Amino acid sequence: MIVYIYDGTFSGLLTAVYEAFYQKEKPGQILKEWDYSQNLFSQPIYIYSDNDKADKVFNAIKERISFTALKNVYYAFLSETDNGDTLIYNYLKLGLKMGKYVDGNYSHETVSRLHEICKKVAREKHRMLGLIRFRLIRGDVYYASMEPDHNVIALIAPHFARRMSDQNWIIHDIKRKTAIVYNQTEWVMTELEVTQALPIDEEEYLYQKVWKTYFDKIAIRERKNPRLQKSFMPSRYWKHLIEI
Amino acid sequence: MNLERKVEILSESAKYDVSCSSSGSKRKNTKGGLGNGAYAGICHSWSEDGRCISLLKILYTNYCIYDCVYCVNRHSNDIPRAAFTPEELAELTINFYRRNYIEGLFLSSGIIKNPDYTMEQLIKAMRLLRENKGFNGYIHVKAIPGADSRLISLAGQYADRMSVNIELPTGKSLSMLAPQKNKSSIIGSMGLISTRIKEVREERKTFKKALPFVPAGQSTQLIVGATPDDDLHVLNLTQGLYGRFGLKRVYYSAYVPVNTQSSLLPAIASPPMVRENRLYQADWLLRFYGFKAEEILDEKHPNLDLNLDPKSDWALRNLHLFPVEVNKADYEMLLRVPGIGVISARKILAARRVKALTFDGLSRIGVVLKRARHFITCQGKYYGERGLNEELIRLSITNTKRTFSQASNQLTIFTEEFLGC
Ligand code: SF4
Repeated sequence: MIVYIYDGTFSGLLTAVYEAFYQKEKPGQILKEWDYSQNLFSQPIYIYSDNDKADKVFNAIKERISFTALKNVYYAFLSETDNGDTLIYNYLKLGLKMGKYVDGNYSHETVSRLHEICKKVAREKHRMLGLIRFRLIRGDVYYASMEPDHNVIALIAPHFARRMSDQNWIIHDIKRKTAIVYNQTEWVMTELEVTQALPIDEEEYLYQKVWKTYFDKIAIRERKNPRLQKSFMPSRYWKHLIEI
Repeated sequence: MNLERKVEILSESAKYDVSCSSSGSKRKNTKGGLGNGAYAGICHSWSEDGRCISLLKILYTNYCIYDCVYCVNRHSNDIPRAAFTPEELAELTINFYRRNYIEGLFLSSGIIKNPDYTMEQLIKAMRLLRENKGFNGYIHVKAIPGADSRLISLAGQYADRMSVNIELPTGKSLSMLAPQKNKSSIIGSMGLISTRIKEVREERKTFKKALPFVPAGQSTQLIVGATPDDDLHVLNLTQGLYGRFGLKRVYYSAYVPVNTQSSLLPAIASPPMVRENRLYQADWLLRFYGFKAEEILDEKHPNLDLNLDPKSDWALRNLHLFPVEVNKADYEMLLRVPGIGVISARKILAARRVKALTFDGLSRIGVVLKRARHFITCQGKYYGERGLNEELIRLSITNTKRTFSQASNQLTIFTEEFLGC
C-alpha cells in the first residue's frame, strides 16, 4: 500500500492532498511522519510541504465545495484522530465530486465519520472555553494550563482575546508544548515548556479558596449525582481545575 | 466577616435557584473593558449535583423580612446571616471572571427593609460593575417582588436577563406558602419587563445608541411538588407565559424539603426529580416542537407519565397518525416522531434531498431508533418488531424494571442537549 507521509502541519496535509490528486500513485493512507512506522506492506512516499500547492487545495475546497467543508477539514486535522488524515482525503475526493452537497450526505460513511470527529473537536473547543482556569502570577499575568484530547488551542484563542482584552494572559497546552500568549493587543502562538514552579501572586490564593468554597456550597446535597457531573466534566480534565 | 465566610453563607442560600443559563446575550466588550456575552452560553463547571455552573449565583443578602414557608432564608429560620456591600460583590465578580471561573453574575436577594431598598442595592452593585469596572459579562438579576416599577426599569438597563419568580403554579398556593407575596404584583412586574423589552427593541431599530434593556429576555421559575397542583396546570401556565410575555424560559424546580417542620408542606423523602425532568421535556415540546399544552395533557390525563417521555406518550395516544414515511414526511411531522429531534429532523430533510434514506443511514444521522422504529417506515418498510400495538410498544420503550435508571439516564442526555445550561 502506498502511504504518503508529511510533516504534520496543515499545509503539509494540504500538499499531500494535492499530490494525491495529481500523482499517478494514489495513497491508501496519509500519515504524519511521527505516526508512521515502517513495515513490509507499505511503500512510503515523503511529501514536502509546499505553500503554493497547499493554497491551491485550500482555495479549491472553499470555492468548489464550501466554506463549511474547509472548516470541517481543519477541525478533523486538529482532532489528531487515528487515520484522520486519510479520512480527510476520502472526504475531499467525495466533496470534489458532489460540491457543496457533500455535507448533506449524512448517511454516507465517510461523511458521517468526519462529521463525528468534527463534532468532538467542536465540543472540546467549547468545553475549554469554560474549563480553563487562569491563575494570577507575579508580573500581572494570568496563566492557564490544559491538556485537551484534540489540538484546540488555536480555536479558543480569539474568544479569550475578545473577552479578556484588558489583561495579559497565557494559555498553555502542556501536552503539545505550545502556548498562546496575549499582551492586551494581540496573541501569538509559541512553543513553551515550563520547568519550574510559577511565581503565584499572593492574591491568587484568596480567590482560589473562595472559589472552592463557592463550588462546594452551591451543590444541593439532596440532588447529588456524581455520574451526571462526570458525564459533563470528564475527570481527565480535573487536574487543571481548581475547584475539584 | 471575611469574604470567604460571606460567600459560604450567601451561596448556600442561593443554591435552590434553578436558572443557571448564561445564554442569549451578544453583549460586546468595550475598548479597555472586560468581558462579553457568549450567545450560546458557557458552562464553567459542574457541581456535585450535576448542574452546570455558569454564573456566580449568589444572594446580595439572606436577611429577609418575608417568611415564605418553602424557603431556607425565611425570617423565622435560625440560620447564619450575611450581606455584601456593592463594592465587595463587584470585586468578587470581577476576580472570578478574570480567572475564567464564571460567565457573569446571577444576583438575587432576600428582602431587607423593603422591596425598594433591596432593589436599589442590587442596582448599585450592577452599576458599579458596568460603569466603574467596565464589565461586559453576563448579569442576570432577580426583580424583587413588589419593587417600584421605576427601579425595575432601571435594573433592566444593567442586566442581560431579568426574572420575576412565579414561585408556585397557582395564586392559591402562593397565598398559602408565600403570604407576603402576591400574584398580581408578580404578573404586573413581568408585564412591565416584557413591554419595556419590546419598546426598547423598537427604539434600537431607529436609534442604534439607545441603551439595551434585558437583551437576553426574561425568565421565571416555579417549584413543583410543594403543592398539589397538577402538570396540566403547570403546562397551561407555562404556555400562557410564553405567549403573553414572550418569556425566554420557564424553569421548574423539584421541591426540596428544607423546612420540614411546617404542616403546610408535603412530607417527602427526596425531591421529585423525574417529574421535574418530564416537565422540562414537555416544555421543550411547547417551545421547539410545535405542540400545544392541550395535546400533551388533558383533564383525563392531568399528569405526565413518569415512565415515558411526553412525546412518546403523545405518539402512543395518537397511533392513527403513524407510521410516517421518513423519506416523505414534512418537517413538522418528523418532529413529532419519538426519537427524532430538531437536529435529526433537519438532517433528514437535507440528506434525503441527496438520496433516499436507508434505515442504517437514519442511525448515522442520530435518530434514536429504539424509539423511532415503531413509528416510521423507511422506503416503505416498517422496522418495528411489535406492529402498531400501543401496549407492546409502550412495553418495549419503557422497560419498567429499569425505569429509574432509565429516567436518570435520560436526565443525563436531556440536560445536556436541552437545558444547555
Ligand atoms: S422573599 Fe420569600 S423566597 Fe425570597 S428570600 Fe425571602 S423568604 Fe425566601
